[in-house]
Amino acid sequence: MPSAATISDEEISRLASLPRKPLTLADLVGHGKPPLSNDALLSSANFTLSLLPARLAHRIQKLRNLPFIVVANPNINRIYNNYLHSLSILEPFYQSKIVSMEEEVRFTEAMAELVQTHTNTIPILAQGFLECRKYITPADITRFLDQHLRARIGTRLIAEQHLALHMASAPETAEHELDMHNIGVIDTSLQPAKIIRSCEAFVGDICELKYGVRPRIDMNGSVKAMFAHIPVHLEYILTELIKNAFRATIESGNETHPIEVTFAAAPDVPLSKLDALKRLSVTDESVLDFSQEGLIEYCSSSEGLGGPLNSSAPSITIRIRDRGGGIPPEVLPNIWSYSFTTFNAEQATNANSASDGLQAITNGGNPSSIAGLGYGLPLSRAYAEYFGGSIAVQSMYGWGTDVYLSLQGIAKVV
Amino acid sequence: MSLHSGSRPFLPEFRHAAPTFQRALATSRQLQAPRWRPASALDQWVERPIRPMSLRQLFFFGRTLTEDRLISSANYVRNELPTRIAHRLRDMQKLPYAVVTNPHLSYVYELYYKAFESFRKLPNVKTLEDNDAMCKIISENLKEHLSVIPRMVTGVLECHNLMSADDMDAFVNRSLRARISRRVIAEQHLALTETYNSPGHSPHPSSEHDFVGEVLLRCNAQDIVRDCGQFAQRVCRDYVQGSKVPEINIRGHVTATFPYVLSHLEYTIGELLRNSIQAVMEHYKGWDQPPPIEVLICEAPSQVVIRISDQGGGIPRDILPYLWSFNKGPRSQERLASLGQVPALAATMQELKIPGGPDTPRGSSLNQLSFRDPKLRLGMGLPMSKIYAEYWAGGLELHSLEGYGVDAFLQISKLGNQNEQLTSRASIDAV
Repeated sequence: MPSAATISDEEISRLASLPRKPLTLADLVGHGKPPLSNDALLSSANFTLSLLPARLAHRIQKLRNLPFIVVANPNINRIYNNYLHSLSILEPFYQSKIVSMEEEVRFTEAMAELVQTHTNTIPILAQGFLECRKYITPADITRFLDQHLRARIGTRLIAEQHLALHMASAPETAEHELDMHNIGVIDTSLQPAKIIRSCEAFVGDICELKYGVRPRIDMNGSVKAMFAHIPVHLEYILTELIKNAFRATIESGNETHPIEVTFAAAPDVPLSKLDALKRLSVTDESVLDFSQEGLIEYCSSSEGLGGPLNSSAPSITIRIRDRGGGIPPEVLPNIWSYSFTTFNAEQATNANSASDGLQAITNGGNPSSIAGLGYGLPLSRAYAEYFGGSIAVQSMYGWGTDVYLSLQGIAKVV
Repeated sequence: MSLHSGSRPFLPEFRHAAPTFQRALATSRQLQAPRWRPASALDQWVERPIRPMSLRQLFFFGRTLTEDRLISSANYVRNELPTRIAHRLRDMQKLPYAVVTNPHLSYVYELYYKAFESFRKLPNVKTLEDNDAMCKIISENLKEHLSVIPRMVTGVLECHNLMSADDMDAFVNRSLRARISRRVIAEQHLALTETYNSPGHSPHPSSEHDFVGEVLLRCNAQDIVRDCGQFAQRVCRDYVQGSKVPEINIRGHVTATFPYVLSHLEYTIGELLRNSIQAVMEHYKGWDQPPPIEVLICEAPSQVVIRISDQGGGIPRDILPYLWSFNKGPRSQERLASLGQVPALAATMQELKIPGGPDTPRGSSLNQLSFRDPKLRLGMGLPMSKIYAEYWAGGLELHSLEGYGVDAFLQISKLGNQNEQLTSRASIDAV
């Protein structure tokens, strides 16, 4: 199907061949802590503008390389057109720099629309690939999706960071709240234990509704550990892992055995570094006159900070241990794939049933979408790995499963 | 072939009771390149395929011991040993020259070549007397080769600049796997001969609860963990001043059993428990009651998993990339120094024997390593344990929670029907 967008092929090729530099945390926080001055907002907008078109162009090219019959599928085609459309919206902006605040506002509105348009990319792609499973191998799908989903994480991060910075700098916001912790989408004092508790409640509610029982979580180790990370990413990952643990526990009849969550914080990542970060950011004097130098210097210098914050090593590890009976050996090799080998037609028709609340959770409440399509684990791993972390699953069939989520705090980002 | 022929200049150290490693080191540095020998004999034997065995085959073959069976086993061994060593020799010959001329590695090479020469000349075994003569030669050979592991590891550490770490690790892995294989079939046959020759032996099938040679059909996970645990606790008692040895709690499917070569299992579990105990003692120095080590046994239809969880603080991230390698990165110098202190093995058994340690019929090299001083960190325990675990189609994995502790997962195949995981020259060349 021909695209409705007006962007030319030459333009797409040109953008896709631009060198792409890796995104760093310094980039994301380098414009300052909200509320940002006008200059800082313009700087953030132009920075975003310098990164996004090339990324979108890349995605378009990769999609174009898929087999014709796959991209002709209505669902895949819809996503393909979304990307073309978004790039064409950005074109008027990136032809020259943004210099006025009116332009910045229009640009930000365009960003908001972009983020909104692409919200459901994953379930739609999933449905599309499911429908195309006869024409493309699971290995090829996995290869495409692994790359696509990771690229998508970065692109959305850039866009959402600018949006968040803009919103937090709006006069209305600046007046009544002074957020000590957040820099856009990054929370510098994120406490994983708090997220676990809220996931426990959320997933527990659904279990109570569906199964009539509610498993418990016991936490131990460095429960108060905190680090700088992106809350929505962590929430996604932990919701998925807890959902799996809860369901396995209930279905094996072991709901009286609590799930054990252990927090480990590497010894040389002290809270004082976060304190240092906070100290650099907002003081009574500098509330409206934010000093960039300290923050940028902190994020980019490697002396005096020691290994952890600038090294690619995990700083917090979370172990989730359940008594859910483990993962059957025949299923184990497939848990990281996008479930095409284990899916069958019967499940496909049931996938649209709205009754499986647990399946729907990870899609943000859209029950008809990826229910049962098994994207949760690979996607969680993509989020974890984006900042240099990892997820490892150790199954003891006949007893339970141990999942190890390791996360970096502040670190270099892909 | 006599060990004590005076014509070979580099053998004098074997004339006396095994000296310390340091002295052996000094003598061997005089050796440069290994001797050149015509390749035709080796070529012939490298052409032969290896015939791998499974645990069940090992067990059931020896279960009903008749004279015929014993002779048959003798001839299997007579053919397999030189074949397997030939493959190893060829593998070593293809390493870079600079590597093979390292004094430790050339020592190992010479040892292997000597063994190859003596094994390939063994005559066909037709009678029990022939068997006894062969067993004597094999037994001497086993004793002589006890020092191979520390030697090889030392040589590898010294050569870390001469070959990529991956290639090095692959070579050591192949060598150690092959070494396990030769010792398994050799020790199995020696054990069977001993059983056959023992007074009161009659050829009725042994019960499933007995050893058949080195194989125990019904290793009970809980018993082994408990025994190895107690032994490791004893050895580590004074490891850190002011630190108490942690308790070891065992739970789960405690009745699980599986077939295994007991000494292999004792080594692996011993190493894992020792690592955990030492980590906890260092991390909880001065505490009245350090947190216990939790061992979980999980039995599934085809495998048993033993999980060992400690709160020893986890593994420092700077050594994490080198965990499974024989190259130890930042800790290489320390490990080299420690390896230099490992006494030659025969002597150690007598020197360090701590009463009540786990009993193994023959002085195996593994057993000797278990008795080492806990302060001697050799850096081999994990890579070796992994090789042993994977040898019988199992596995070993570690997950570190930095700042908290470590979980180790030992997977053991319950069926015993998987063949030994060996790499022959043909499969290496075919890649």
